[in-house]
Amino acid sequence: MTEFNYKTCTGCSLICEDILFPDAGSGSVSQAKNLCRKGQAHYQALFSERTGPLVEGSEVSLDQAIERAAEILRNASAPVIYGWSNCTLEAQEVGLALAAKIGAFVDDPSSYCEGQLMERILSGKIPSCTLDDVRNFADTSIFWGSDPSSTQPRHLSRFSYFPRGEKRQKSYEEERTCIVVDVRESPTARLCPNTTYRVLPGEDLQFLEAILAVLEGKIPKFGDKKKMIELGSIIKKTEYGVIFPGPAMLVSLQDQMDRFEELLRRLNEITTFKVVPMTGQYNSRGYSQLLFDRTGRVKGVKFTASGEAAEAPSLVEAVKGADGILVLGSDPLLDLPLGLARSFAAAPIIAIDPRRSLTADVARVVIPSAISGLETGGTALRTDGVRVTFEPSMKTNQLADEQILTRIMEAI
Amino acid sequence: MVGAMEIYMLLPKTNCKKCGLPTCMAFAVGLLGREKKLEECTPLFEEKKYEAKLAKLKEIVAPLESASETGLVIHPEKCFGCGNCVIACPVNVAAEPTRCGAGLGPESEKVILRVEDGVVVANNLQECKRFGPNKILCNACTATCPSKAIEFV
Amino acid sequence: MAVDVKVVTYRDIFQYGAGKMGLHSEEYLRLSASIILDKGDMASLGIAEGGKVLLENELNRVVLNATASADKPHPGLAFMIKSPWSNQLEGDESCPAGASGFRGIQAQISPSSESITQMDEILQRLRA
Repeated sequence: MTEFNYKTCTGCSLICEDILFPDAGSGSVSQAKNLCRKGQAHYQALFSERTGPLVEGSEVSLDQAIERAAEILRNASAPVIYGWSNCTLEAQEVGLALAAKIGAFVDDPSSYCEGQLMERILSGKIPSCTLDDVRNFADTSIFWGSDPSSTQPRHLSRFSYFPRGEKRQKSYEEERTCIVVDVRESPTARLCPNTTYRVLPGEDLQFLEAILAVLEGKIPKFGDKKKMIELGSIIKKTEYGVIFPGPAMLVSLQDQMDRFEELLRRLNEITTFKVVPMTGQYNSRGYSQLLFDRTGRVKGVKFTASGEAAEAPSLVEAVKGADGILVLGSDPLLDLPLGLARSFAAAPIIAIDPRRSLTADVARVVIPSAISGLETGGTALRTDGVRVTFEPSMKTNQLADEQILTRIMEAI
Repeated sequence: MVGAMEIYMLLPKTNCKKCGLPTCMAFAVGLLGREKKLEECTPLFEEKKYEAKLAKLKEIVAPLESASETGLVIHPEKCFGCGNCVIACPVNVAAEPTRCGAGLGPESEKVILRVEDGVVVANNLQECKRFGPNKILCNACTATCPSKAIEFV
Repeated sequence: MAVDVKVVTYRDIFQYGAGKMGLHSEEYLRLSASIILDKGDMASLGIAEGGKVLLENELNRVVLNATASADKPHPGLAFMIKSPWSNQLEGDESCPAGASGFRGIQAQISPSSESITQMDEILQRLRA
């Protein structure tokens, strides 16, 4: 009987725990089992373009890089710490302690639009559940502005459509319905063409109001009337429904989230309906939860000299005025819109990253780190809040993020 | 996926019976079902006037040859590694009800589909429900693929 | 001749993989410096499949490869994978973290004979 030495993937926020790396001993991820294409790319990337300690583009020792990083942060009057979502909870805790110590503004990529939903879920304003609940009980999964096949590839096969569950033994063939609401025919939409609703950009509110209308038995003012009425019937027959909103829907409804709250209230009068977020990086939720527990917010927070959180500037203002930015496991120059990316590039950056990135290439100081999930262990929160603890699969000489942050703190 | 009519249109259409079947249409069906090989239609290869049609036929028939007995073809360059087919396959689920049945990766060697190096691979195709004398038209794996990476020819 | 389009960004697993293997690679360029246009819009602009287009708005301009959409007609709507190319035209007022692209970026499309905007060019613009 073979012992299965299951490992964890930190490629997306599903944090799959059934990965096998038969070649881990020789430092390779070849023939990995159960890793989806995204997880495979995430890990395969590790073996190229690893960072080494750099200051102003010159190779230095790790100690020198840490020393210079501490110097920048110590002297900064408006420091910023950005990234966070690719770090373990342990690293995030140390990072927040550092932020409090130096009075930094902290923010992560998801806080603006996805943060609106996350804040409501963490505070209980919108009901949520775990993905295991989805697998066991959900008979209607609604992907609204999200395309799990491309962003969390095993979402449908592990939880939301294809597997059997406690109350869903007949699964997708007879007992589960998958609904997609999107502007285009995404790969996920191809799987359920009869229950795909085409909604153009900015029309999400009208679509939402149309659902509320059909639930009242009224004729909807938006969309194909017959299809909307059908949707109403599906909802009324649902025993346990789950909505998975994606960034497309959240940015569209960002000023009307109270209507989304109203929709959930109404749905829960008829039956049970939950919302599970679709977070980007593997520990986005972990960071949001930690910040929420500390400050009651998930959006950008400015720590003051006394260590307490205060009213914060916007990310754009904070970065424009920053005289020291610590970027943790993120690549803002790759991901952010033009203006903000330029503001980042103009400030003195300390990049802590296992791998070369656009941001690391412009950074004043580069500090190499171990890849969490492969080379270091730790704890993270899956997109549904379930705590996952993992051990490393490979040995490394690199320091883990929390070790680097601790050393920076000591040097300050 | 190519049809018998498409193949028939490229054949000599003389019903010469040199392949052992009574009509060219029967040969087209036989080619599709992998019971006949293109080489068995000797006029196609011997007579110059069929050169262009032969070239086109070779192109069409190539995926049929690489397909398995069940007709399964995987295009790894299109595969997302999502595991939908692994979880939907009834043979996989029967072999591992607490793993494939519940959305997890398989442990045994008995399964047909598994994800390796980020894409799906197929083994044990003789266990597939489309194979053998009692074959049925099961399409669980192809119907659940978001990218047509897994097909039947 | 230019046509107004709303460019909606989306995520693609193959472009993600290409990016992981190398942000300066041919594959990443091919998948990112591309835009999917409605067939009718392409015809009215006289752009052939794989032809080059200039995508421009008040923020910036990029030259991309155009492919015809296989989806139901969507005149006035174009699709781009979220990438440094799409970020070049995205403002940060409504969603600084870059999600506004999912709701659509207003821009103009016209045929172009310039060469495709390279990654180096994008980087230079960020450092400027």
